[in-house]
Amino acid sequence: MQALLVPVGLDLFAVPMELVDEVVAAPLLFSLPISPAAILGLFNLRGEIVPMFDTAALTGLGRLSAWPFAAVVRTSLGPAGLGATDLPEPATLGEQIGPSESLGTAGIYAVGRRLAVLIEVEALLASATIGAHVVARPGHEERG
Amino acid sequence: MSALDQREFRALFAQEAQIRLSSLVQLMLQLERDGSSVALIDAIFREVHTLKGSAAVVGFDDVSQRAHSLEERLEELRSGSRAVTPELIDSLLSAIDGLTVLTAKAVAGDGTEPQATGDETIVDAQRHSQAGPATAPVVDARARQRVEAAAAAKQGIEAGRARRAHQAPDDNAVVMVPVARLDDLVRLVGEAATASLRVGRMLAARLEIEPTAIPEFSELSRLLNTLQERTMRARMVPVATATDQLNRAVRDLARSLGKLVTWEVRGGDTEIDRGVLHQLTDSLLHLVRNAVDHGIESPDEREAKGKPREATIRLQAMQVGSEVMIAVSDDGRGIDVDQVRGQAARQGIDTNELNDDDALQLVFRSGLSTAAFLSDISGRGVGLDVARASVEAVRGRIEVRSEPGRGSEFQLTVPVTLAVLPCLLVATGGQRFALALHNVVVAISGDTGTPAYAEGRPVIWVDDQPVAVSNLAQLLHLPASTAGNGPIVVIAGSNQRHAFQVDGLVGQGDVVVKSLSPLLPRLDVVAGTSVEPDGSVLVVLDPPGLVDLAQKTRPTVTTLTELAVRPVKSARPNARVLVVDDALTVRELQRTILERAGYEVRVACDGIEALARLGEDPGDLVLTDVEMPRMDGFALTEAIRADPGLSNVPVLVLTSKSSDLDRQRGLEAGADGYIVKSAFDERGLLAAIERLLGSRR
Repeated sequence: MQALLVPVGLDLFAVPMELVDEVVAAPLLFSLPISPAAILGLFNLRGEIVPMFDTAALTGLGRLSAWPFAAVVRTSLGPAGLGATDLPEPATLGEQIGPSESLGTAGIYAVGRRLAVLIEVEALLASATIGAHVVARPGHEERG
Repeated sequence: MSALDQREFRALFAQEAQIRLSSLVQLMLQLERDGSSVALIDAIFREVHTLKGSAAVVGFDDVSQRAHSLEERLEELRSGSRAVTPELIDSLLSAIDGLTVLTAKAVAGDGTEPQATGDETIVDAQRHSQAGPATAPVVDARARQRVEAAAAAKQGIEAGRARRAHQAPDDNAVVMVPVARLDDLVRLVGEAATASLRVGRMLAARLEIEPTAIPEFSELSRLLNTLQERTMRARMVPVATATDQLNRAVRDLARSLGKLVTWEVRGGDTEIDRGVLHQLTDSLLHLVRNAVDHGIESPDEREAKGKPREATIRLQAMQVGSEVMIAVSDDGRGIDVDQVRGQAARQGIDTNELNDDDALQLVFRSGLSTAAFLSDISGRGVGLDVARASVEAVRGRIEVRSEPGRGSEFQLTVPVTLAVLPCLLVATGGQRFALALHNVVVAISGDTGTPAYAEGRPVIWVDDQPVAVSNLAQLLHLPASTAGNGPIVVIAGSNQRHAFQVDGLVGQGDVVVKSLSPLLPRLDVVAGTSVEPDGSVLVVLDPPGLVDLAQKTRPTVTTLTELAVRPVKSARPNARVLVVDDALTVRELQRTILERAGYEVRVACDGIEALARLGEDPGDLVLTDVEMPRMDGFALTEAIRADPGLSNVPVLVLTSKSSDLDRQRGLEAGADGYIVKSAFDERGLLAAIERLLGSRR
């Protein structure tokens, strides 16, 4: 399967390539007040306002401290940006090594000597809305 | 006829039927009001006959048959064998309602399947019609109706073709367009206008070309503005498009209650955004039913009071600036304000401080309105609070006035259009936000003296009423901003006012509001988003949501009072600030302010001299004017950023150049902050310096 590998700290996540629109470098983020912690903000992609998600928070890895890149993915509800800590790269996923535990993921795959967790984009982003992996910011209300 | 043709014809029929059925209701009401006349009966016949024919052509035989039945009943009127009575009108209106339901079902494909279609029907109809009973001995009633209907339709089509052949193109011709397509068009035109502004900014910022100096760009901007205005006008419909059903509701309810009511519409041609009117229709329906049910007295009671036996309910619409005012008034008994006060008291509301006008507005409160004024007839279990919520949902407001014995008037004021939202733009927490202007009560200076206090919150007085103040950045969990003397914006929520302290007022503007991505959860404080001309994302805040949040949030941070009494001191004692300004007075004023706050101050008259001073000692911060001889502030900032030894020194621009373009230029040159002299004040300047120095520690 062709996928885009999205680095998140030391982890790698794989997004099916057919769902990827583009990769944006250093998106200029604007805060969305009183939003769940997994929502980093909004950015302007050629006139379209795209929500940017904290991939680490969504996948239960904690919080992403910086987001120099965004992988823009297509969903049935519109585009979304997934934060990446390094430049995402295309790759062919090898065999599935095993299952994955986090909500919105669909197994661990080999990519050469590395491992990547395959993301089910719609399910992962739905968890941002329902707050499955929401990590409240200090002083924030946690919202469902 | 192809399948696609058939779908198109049925869609056309749906539109035509809606207009004809609505017209029929009006003609019936006219018949009841004015009595029978040949012209009126003929007009009613034409509508029914044409509807029957059109239904048959598209294969809706049930609709056609029902229309035929109605036609037969109307025949009694035409022949004079039956007089026009309210009971007959009831019955005919009921038949039209039935026809409306049947048509809707047929169009939706709900149980009514076409029996025959289009051309085939017409050809068959012609054959049977020409052949007559001798050659078509077995023709049942249903088939005969179809034949007649199809012949009528064919006749109508040919007549139409003949008319079109002899007519010049009609400037008043109407094309029906799906609303969603129109909305999309309005949105795209709005975005195109915004995009052109962005191009203008880019020309100025990157190529240093003043866009307004380019005739082609000015022409494009002008055309886009005109296009935006015309497109938005295309969404407009006359208020009269909603009054037919109100008329019918008044008539039916008055009859059922034995009351006599005249319905009047004034200003029915006032145009309003279709979406706004659609949203208001239920509220208007509720108000007129309420007026008939509770406002209007019985004929005998009215006579005993010296009033005409027949009451009047009037809907009046007019445009006032960018808003439309719709008033529903009656000459009934009025609202008993003492009853309102009593009901409010039972619910624990203190009305002692309220005058009668203000007490009357309590009818819009949840619970109170339902209990005090509504019955199942007028309200159907829905209170005036719901009517108010509907009006507020389209950014409108509702008020009531009443005079005992003389009647009541409910006044709805709504924006002409929702396509753009006039907003107040504010800066807070390092970002700009938009607030719907119609919710902004007033914006005042943050230097309000020593504020009052209530329940741990600072309070200011607005119109002799205490209003609690919250810091907007803190409330929204954004980075804390300047000291607490920024402007204060007073917002009207659904029930209460609340004030919000912001860093600055940016200006006013029409904002093309987009919905939040459906990927995001509903956020009570966010009404939508927009893209600014410089490409920034502008979050449009929801004033009622904001007020609700502020009321629920206990203040836990620095308050106005603390800020007011806290002496502003240097965050870094002995930090070195270079003041660059060619005006001696300004330079010395700034030196005095900064030295008093504990900073070491050096001065320079222009950019060249400033660079020389920085060469001697980089210092900790540069405070510079823009317009100066030899080297201006922008060039100075760029030179500082280009010098590896100086590039980390914060630069704060203090200038009278207040346009967005200048601000953008300053920030692009590398300035860390930009303060406009007109908004300059000592505390704001010190807070900005403190913040910049603090962030570099």
